[in-house]
Amino acid sequence: MAGKIAQRLMELPEGSAVALRMGAEQYFDAIRAILDIYAPKKELDVLYLTSTIPSRSIIGALEVLEIPLDHIWFVDCISQIMMSAAEKHPHAIYVESPTMLENIMLKIEYLIRKTKDRGNIVVIDSINSLAIHNNTKILSEFFHILVNNLRSKKASTLIFSMEQYENEEIRNMMNLVCDETIAVEAESGG
Amino acid sequence: MPSKERETSGDRVDRCVTGVEGLDNILNGGVPRGNTVLITGSVGTGKTSLCLEFLVHGALYGENSLYISVTESTDKLLKNIIPYDFFEDRLMKESRLHFFDLPVIYDRLGLDKPEFDYEEINILIDAVTNLVSELKVKRLVIDSITSVAYRLRSEEILREFVLKLGARLSSLGCTTLVVSEISPTGERYSSYGVEEAISDGIIVMGNLERRGDLLRTLQVVKMRGTMHSRAKYVLDLTTTGVLLVPLLKGGSVAAGGG
Repeated sequence: MAGKIAQRLMELPEGSAVALRMGAEQYFDAIRAILDIYAPKKELDVLYLTSTIPSRSIIGALEVLEIPLDHIWFVDCISQIMMSAAEKHPHAIYVESPTMLENIMLKIEYLIRKTKDRGNIVVIDSINSLAIHNNTKILSEFFHILVNNLRSKKASTLIFSMEQYENEEIRNMMNLVCDETIAVEAESGG
Repeated sequence: MPSKERETSGDRVDRCVTGVEGLDNILNGGVPRGNTVLITGSVGTGKTSLCLEFLVHGALYGENSLYISVTESTDKLLKNIIPYDFFEDRLMKESRLHFFDLPVIYDRLGLDKPEFDYEEINILIDAVTNLVSELKVKRLVIDSITSVAYRLRSEEILREFVLKLGARLSSLGCTTLVVSEISPTGERYSSYGVEEAISDGIIVMGNLERRGDLLRTLQVVKMRGTMHSRAKYVLDLTTTGVLLVPLLKGGSVAAGGG
């Protein structure tokens, strides 16, 4: 499954904005496809925005999967709002709340500057959790500015969307900002 | 390295490129050279950081740059400066970047009166312009005018000081940022209302509260000699310098702030 997703990603042109629609059960396959196959092959630094689960949890999962963190950087906008006292990770920078959308853009810009020797792919995990904290108008504006800014820097954007939490507004938003949608479907035998 | 100037077709303005990428975009390429610009805002809004970055970039472009501190000693300031990725120690060794404490200049000039009149002000203007001239300074920061103004006897003297100093510095081709402290709820851009009226440009830095989140903002409300955006931007102070992105409207922005 991860290989198939990575293959689809490899076909995309530089600076693409892609919606990755999936069920919860395909979540880790998608992460593996991007972080373990696609980004290393393309020699990209991954800037991973998490508003769904704390970066610590994702880092823990990556350690289990033996995916090195060298070229993976997190913008974590959920740990602080959860009042998590967890130790800060050197590959994570923190935004106080998922409502601080401008600060999210600023942290992504900061990481792009810090990793300027390589290309970037920005992963947004996920549009659904950002939609819990922000209204559609401001979230659409955020994606519109972010994606176009990244495109101008030849950085690709992958936006995760969990099918079971999608609604009409989220679908419209993704149609507006994304060039393509990849539907990650469950397959028997994994 | 040649001095950083920008001329585009149809734009004959000689510009002082600030080096803050977002701000240069807002200003259509930079501050028109020789302008005196008020950097105004309440405490903790990033005024000093913006000014220091302006000077460091200037020094990197080969322009001699000078910071005159009025309240805080430069030793203390340098200890607390953001460790910029682009800072180079040679800038100070090669005399590209200078720091002076105004109280030291007062002592040297024998200006020990608690309140300054026209005579003292003229001595001070001469001292600053001589310093700029001798050091061949092309970028100057005075941090802050508010602290200088406390010692001036009247608003007329303040007006004379800002006008005369601005004109003399401009004639030397020096682009000047003058920091002004205002209260968060102030309706004016400067403590006395005089500085804002006679400066060539005003950049307002503030804090905007939106649904409990506090955002640092920047807005250029006036800049003589160039077209510029008047929109409000959100900023972050980082080791890569000041970063700016547009303030999202989204139909949910509370009034006020900034």
